[in-house]
Amino acid sequence: MKLEQQIPRNALIWIVLAQFSLLLPHLGRVPMWLVLVYVAAAGTRVLVYQGRWSFPSRGVKVVCAATCLGGIWLSYDSLIGLEPTVALLLVAFSLKLLELAQKKDAYLLLFLAYFVCVTEFLFSQELQVTLYLLAVVTVITAALVALQQPEKLEFSLLPLRRAGVMLLQAFPLMLILFLVFPRIDPLWSVPLQRQAAKSGVSNFMSPGDISNLSLSGDVAFRVQFDDFVPARSQLYWRGLVFSKLEDSTWRALTWSEVPANERRPLVVQNLVGQRFDYSVLLEATQQNWLYSLRYARPSDLGVMSTNDFRLQSPIELEDQKEYRVSSWTDIPIELELSDWRREVETQLPLSGNSRTRELAQQMYSEAGEDSRSFVRATMAMFTEQDFHYTLRPPRLGGNSMDEFLFESRRGFCEHYAAVFVYMMRAAGVPARVVAGYQGGELSPINGTLIVHQFDAHAWAEVWLPGEGWVRADPTAAIAPERIERGLQYSMGDDEGFLSGSPLSPLRYRNVAWVNLLRLRLDAMNYSWQRLVMEFDSAKQYNLLSGLIGEISPARIATLVGVIWMLVLGPVLYTLLRRPARAKLDPATLSYLDFCDRMAAQGCVREPRETPADYARRAIEQRPEWGEQVMAITGAYETLSYLPPLQDQEAQLQKLRNLVRGFRPRKQ
Amino acid sequence: MREIIDKTVAEVGKALLGKEPQIRLALCCLLSRGHLLIEDLPGMGKTTLSHALAQVLGLSYKRVQFTSDLLPADILGVSVFDQASTSFSFHHGPIFTQLLLADEINRTTPRTQSALLEAMAEGQVTVDGETRQLPRPFFVIATQNPLHQSGTYPLPESQLDRFLMRIELGYPDPAAERSMLLGDHSGTASIVLEECLEVSQLIAFREAAGKVHASDNVMDYLQRLVGHTRVASGFACGLSPRGSMALLQSARTWALMHGRSHIVPEDLQAILPSVASHRLVANSDFAGDNHALIRETLATVDVIKP
Repeated sequence: MKLEQQIPRNALIWIVLAQFSLLLPHLGRVPMWLVLVYVAAAGTRVLVYQGRWSFPSRGVKVVCAATCLGGIWLSYDSLIGLEPTVALLLVAFSLKLLELAQKKDAYLLLFLAYFVCVTEFLFSQELQVTLYLLAVVTVITAALVALQQPEKLEFSLLPLRRAGVMLLQAFPLMLILFLVFPRIDPLWSVPLQRQAAKSGVSNFMSPGDISNLSLSGDVAFRVQFDDFVPARSQLYWRGLVFSKLEDSTWRALTWSEVPANERRPLVVQNLVGQRFDYSVLLEATQQNWLYSLRYARPSDLGVMSTNDFRLQSPIELEDQKEYRVSSWTDIPIELELSDWRREVETQLPLSGNSRTRELAQQMYSEAGEDSRSFVRATMAMFTEQDFHYTLRPPRLGGNSMDEFLFESRRGFCEHYAAVFVYMMRAAGVPARVVAGYQGGELSPINGTLIVHQFDAHAWAEVWLPGEGWVRADPTAAIAPERIERGLQYSMGDDEGFLSGSPLSPLRYRNVAWVNLLRLRLDAMNYSWQRLVMEFDSAKQYNLLSGLIGEISPARIATLVGVIWMLVLGPVLYTLLRRPARAKLDPATLSYLDFCDRMAAQGCVREPRETPADYARRAIEQRPEWGEQVMAITGAYETLSYLPPLQDQEAQLQKLRNLVRGFRPRKQ
Repeated sequence: MREIIDKTVAEVGKALLGKEPQIRLALCCLLSRGHLLIEDLPGMGKTTLSHALAQVLGLSYKRVQFTSDLLPADILGVSVFDQASTSFSFHHGPIFTQLLLADEINRTTPRTQSALLEAMAEGQVTVDGETRQLPRPFFVIATQNPLHQSGTYPLPESQLDRFLMRIELGYPDPAAERSMLLGDHSGTASIVLEECLEVSQLIAFREAAGKVHASDNVMDYLQRLVGHTRVASGFACGLSPRGSMALLQSARTWALMHGRSHIVPEDLQAILPSVASHRLVANSDFAGDNHALIRETLATVDVIKP
C-alpha cells in the first residue's frame, strides 16, 4: 500500500473515538450484544494496528455480518421498522472497522458517521441530545482533519481545535439555511415507533380496575401566559369529556353517537369577564385532543373547537404542538341544554349499583329536588364522612360505585369524579366526567407553567339551570391540598408518587439547588423547543413574509441569492482575489497574462524560470511561436529590468498589444 | 569592458584549464571588492587560480601557509629595535600586499584567524598602537580543505560572512585534464600570464559597477530570495542584511561583466550559490547540504510574481 493511502495513527484514534461517542446514546436502545460486537471490532482493529493480527479474511467477515443480521432478526423479530434498521446501521458501522485498511475506507466510515449521527434525532430531539450530537460532529470532523495530517505527527488535540474552528465558521451558514432554506415535505417518511404514554390522560376511565397508580414526572405540556397566571385552584386543563358509562368504564362519545345536528361546536357569543391569553406547547401524545382552560377559543387555524367546549387537533400529535388560546374562565357555557344532550348526560346503565342510586334519589328529594342544593349536599357528604384520598386504592368489583361509597371509601380523583357523576345522573341531574390536568408548576426562571404527567386529574361538571355547566371537583372537597398545592406536595414518596420514574430530579425537589437546576434546564428546553423544534414551514413562511413581504418564487430566489452572496461573497473574494497581482506593475501583469495564455497551451512557466529561460523552452516546444514569444519577452525584459525609458507608456502599450495579439492555437 | 573581462578570463584559463565559470565567479568577487574563499581538496588548483588572478590583474601577491603555530605577528608584521638608528622599526608582514593567498585558513588558531579577518574587514592593521593602511586594492583569497577536519579550527559563521563568495573548483573534465597532463603545465610559476587589467581600470570598473541599474522587479526578486531563506523550513538561519548587500553587489558586478548596465534575474541566479551557500545554516532536519538548499530556494521562489 502506498504511504498516502495509509490511515495516520492519529486519525485512527479519532475515528474510534468518534464511533464510540456515536454509539453511546444508542446504548439503552440496542441489544447488549451489539455493544459487544463494537468492542470486539474495535479491539480487533487495535490489534491489527499493533501488528499482532492481520485483517480478517473475507470468509470471517461474511460470517460476522451474517451472524449480526441473524442476531438483529432474533432481537427484534423483524428487520423492518425504525429500531431494527438503526441497529442494522450501527452493526454495519461497527463491523466496517474490520476492513478499515485505507484512507478511502476511513472516509466512507466518517461520512457514514454523520448519517448515524442523524439517526439519534429519530428518538429524541431535546436540547441536551442536540448539544451532545454537536460535540460528536466536532469529533467526527476532527477525525476527518486528522486523516489529512502527516503520519509522523503524534496524537494531538490540534484536529479537534481545527474542526471546532471550521464548525464555528459554518455556523452562520447553518443559521441561514435553517431560517431560509425551503422546508420541503419528505418524499418518504420513517415509521416512527413511539412508546405509549406512561401515565397521564387516556381516552377512557375505569377507576375500579386500578389498584396502584403509577405517576411519571415527565412534562405533559408547558404554558406561557401573556399577562398573568390564574390562581392555582382555577387551573383545570380540560382535555376530554367522558359522557358515556359502559361496563364500569367511562368514555367519550364517539363521532357516530352524536347526531349530525349536534356535532357543530358550541360558541359563546357574549364574551365578558376575565380573559387569559396563553400559548401551550404540548408534548407528543399520539392523541388528538388538546388542553385548555374553559371557556377556550383557539387562535390557530389547525385547532378546532368541539361541541363539549374542548379543543381538538384534526390529526394525532406525533410531534410537539404549539397553539395559542384565549380563555374566559368565568363565562357560563351552554345555558340551554338540548334534549339529546340532556338525555346523554343523564344516562346510566339500566341496572347495578342499586344502593348508590337509592342514596342519590333520597338525597335529591331531601334537597327539595333542587340540583344546586343536591350538589352541595353531595360535596358535604364527601367532606363530612370518612373518605380518604390515596393513590393505592383497593380493587373494586362489579358494583364498583356501591363498593366504593359504602365499603372502601378510599380512592383518588377518578373514583370521586366517577361516583359523583353517577350520583348526579341517578338523580336525573345532567353531569359528566372531565379528564385533563390540574395545576402545574410555575417556573421562576421564565414564568412558564410546567404541567407534569402526575398533574393528571379527573373532575366533574354538573349542568345547573341558569348557570350552564359548572365545575364540581369532589377531590377538592376530600383533599383540598391536592388542588391548592399540587400532588407532589400533598403526597409522601411512600404513597407511590413518581414510582414510575425512579431517577427523576423531581424526587429531590426539596433540595433547593437541584430544584433550581431542574427548573433552569426545563426553561432552556422550553426555549429550545419553541424556537427551534417548533420552527416549521408555517413559521418560516411568517418570517419570510415579514422580511420580504409577499412570497413569490422570484423574491425567494432573490433573498436566497442575497444571503448566498453575503455568506459566500467574502469567501469567494478571498479565494479569487489575487492579492499579489494587485501590487504588481502593469508590465508584469501583462506578462503574466501572456504566461497564462501559454499555460493554457500546456507550456507552464516554472517558478524559477526567468523570462528568457521560459521563452527558450517555449520555442523549443513550439518553434512556430518563436517570433511572438521573443518579441513579448524582449519587451517585458526592457520594461521590467532596464532603467525607466522615455517612452515607457508607449513600450507598455506595445507589450500589451503583443500579448493581446498572442492567440496560440492548440496543436 | 566586456572584451577586457573575457580576455582576462581567457588568460587565467590558460593556467587553470576548463574552469571558466569558477574563474568568472572569482573575478566577479574581486571586482566587487570582496574576499574569496575557495573550498576544495588539495591539488585542485586553488593556488594556481589565485596566482593567475594576481598576475593578470597586475597585483602584488604573497602567500601565507597557515599552520597551528602561526601567530598574528607572523602575518601582520613586527616592530624590531634597530641598533643603528636606536629606534623601533616596523617589519611589514606578508599582509602588506595587494593579493594575499591565505592557504588552509582553518589550520590556524582563532586568534590568528581573527587578526586576518579584521584586516580584511577594515583594510588596515594596528600593530603596537599604530594603525597602518594596507595597500589598495587589497584582496584575500583564502582556501580551506573540507575534509580531514581533525586539528582544525573551522571558521565560525560570523567570520564566514566576511567572505563575499565561496567557490568550489571541482574536478576538471576529462578533456581539460588530458590537455593538462600532456601540456607544459608542470608548475604554476612556469607560466607567465599577460597582465590584462590595470589597477586604474579595476577602480574604474568598480565605479561603473556601482551604477548598474537594479529595477524594482529585480529588487523584489532579490528580496523574495532572501526572504525565503529566512522563513522557509530547512533553514536554521537565513541571509543577513550583509548577505543581501553582498548579493546585490555581486549581481551588479556580474551584470557589468556581461556587458549590461542593468541586472537581470539570471545574474542573481548565477551568483546566488557562491554568495549565499556559506552564509546559510541548514536546519538539522534537512538532509541535504547547503547547495541543495540553494537549489531548492531557486526552484521555489518565483522570478516574476510573489
